[in-house]
Amino acid sequence: MQMDSKGKLIPVIEGRKICKRFSSKRGEKTVLEDIDLSVSENEFVVLFGPGQCGKTTLMNILSGLDVPTSGTVYCDGEIVQRPAPERGVVFQAMALFPWLTVRGNVAYGLKARGVPRDEWMERSDYFIKLVGLEGFEDAYINRLSGGMKQRVGIARAYCNDPKVLFMDEPFSALDAQTRYMMQDEIARIWETEKKTVVFVTNNIEEAVFLADRIILLTNCPSHVKKEYRIDLPRPRDYTSRDFLLLRDEITKQMDSTL
Amino acid sequence: MMDTKKLKQLAKDSVYGLISVCVFLCIWAFGVRTSDIGIVMPGPGKVIYEFIQSFFVPIGKYTMPGHILWSLYRVLPAYIVGSVLGIVIGIAMGWFRYVNSFLRPLYEMIRPIPPIAWIPISIVWFGIGEGSKWFIIFLAAFVPVVLNSISGAKSVDPLLLKCGEMLGADKKYIFRTIVLPYSVPYIFSGLQVALSASWATVVAAEMIRSSEGVGWIIISSMDTNNVTQSLVGIVGIGIVGFILAVMMRELEGRLCRWTVREN
Ligand SMILES: Nc1ncnc2c1ncn2[C@@H]1O[C@H](COP(=O)(O)OP(=O)(O)O)[C@@H](O)[C@H]1O
Ligand SMILES: [Mg+2]
Repeated sequence: MQMDSKGKLIPVIEGRKICKRFSSKRGEKTVLEDIDLSVSENEFVVLFGPGQCGKTTLMNILSGLDVPTSGTVYCDGEIVQRPAPERGVVFQAMALFPWLTVRGNVAYGLKARGVPRDEWMERSDYFIKLVGLEGFEDAYINRLSGGMKQRVGIARAYCNDPKVLFMDEPFSALDAQTRYMMQDEIARIWETEKKTVVFVTNNIEEAVFLADRIILLTNCPSHVKKEYRIDLPRPRDYTSRDFLLLRDEITKQMDSTL
Repeated sequence: MMDTKKLKQLAKDSVYGLISVCVFLCIWAFGVRTSDIGIVMPGPGKVIYEFIQSFFVPIGKYTMPGHILWSLYRVLPAYIVGSVLGIVIGIAMGWFRYVNSFLRPLYEMIRPIPPIAWIPISIVWFGIGEGSKWFIIFLAAFVPVVLNSISGAKSVDPLLLKCGEMLGADKKYIFRTIVLPYSVPYIFSGLQVALSASWATVVAAEMIRSSEGVGWIIISSMDTNNVTQSLVGIVGIGIVGFILAVMMRELEGRLCRWTVREN
């Protein structure tokens, strides 16, 4: 954790007045409008909003995959302009390398940065095990199920030891059963390997189950509607009274933004 | 592992294939027997018999395997050089913007010219020996390989490139570990087209002047009005072309186990 000259804590990720406009043949479209947010160390923040509201766009900007039209993103106090290994991303579209095996994908970042073989073998072993893919080290991606692919994506991002981990609706392509399982897994992995996480979803249960804090985004042009701090004890129970109350409250809030 | 269902499907496919070949041979045999074509054209039985004969009894200086080896000797070196150069230039054009701006006009000028149109020029440049044949087969291979390599390097998924950068790879590493492997299936489809084109062009190349090769079998049959020999040559060219294509697919299957192109 870093402090500035006045001894104030510097957030790991901070977005100031972020705006994003896309211009196309059919004119200009403002997707993000004046978004301010900050994420502190080891916090699990969920960006929650309706489909097509600009969650992916915001996440791309925060991680440096895209640039804002105006406004600035800071990571540990430094301006973010391009993707970098300290900001790991798990993509909605997975974006795995099909010509590499599970291990090849997971160890890609370490190898790219010239980490010695012993070390990347050991680290990739650890994370492949952590996401439950032991025995599939040498399998090619196209032989895996959707849930397993997403696990590879998560292991790949973790293995690179980023400061912040961005996850863009990682479970949206999975069936309900697998989804519940993966939510449990992510909660467990996050408890084992503490990390700052920015998690994007449009599923309220997922949001309440995982988040320390939920940032509620409105429809396009998107801005921050409200923030919720979730203090329910972990591991959480989807059916507990408090869980359901929170879920209903946020759902109501959300409906009023539509 | 193949399961029984796939095996059954395969058996069915081969039966249908066999039926079509049989029907074709029957129509041929029937046509030759019942019409005037029979005067100039042999039936399938005779062609097949002569084809088998050609493995033991030389046509001209060599038996069929000898002619095939001669033709392969002309095709393979030129094909390999044309392919390697085609891959290098095509990938460079597809990936580096200014290489493309620089070379594109030249390439577009060469692209529509059929390789055999180069025969007279190639004789002027390389004489009537093997050089001129290698040259036009080189062109036959080079052109399609360049085209497919360009489209491979151009169509690399931008998300994967960003992903590489996100994971900490530099430009060189991204080129080596993302751009190249992404292009491999495209390159193979170019290599496949180029192989057929090269093999087809050898017949024309052997028209330049030769006294051996499968192309020569065809050319010399024209001089002697030997239709059977011409058909035997065609069968030889067809079978070798087929075997080359199968070997190429096998190689592709081995080199890119992650994605075997659907045909
Ligand atoms: N590159 C782009 N060009 C033009 N419009 C875009 C682009 N990317 C996203 N958009 C628009 O921005 C809006 C939000 O998209 P996105 O961030 O993907 O939403 P979400 O992830 O919340 O579903 C969509 O309406 C989409 O049409
Ligand atoms: Mg999205």
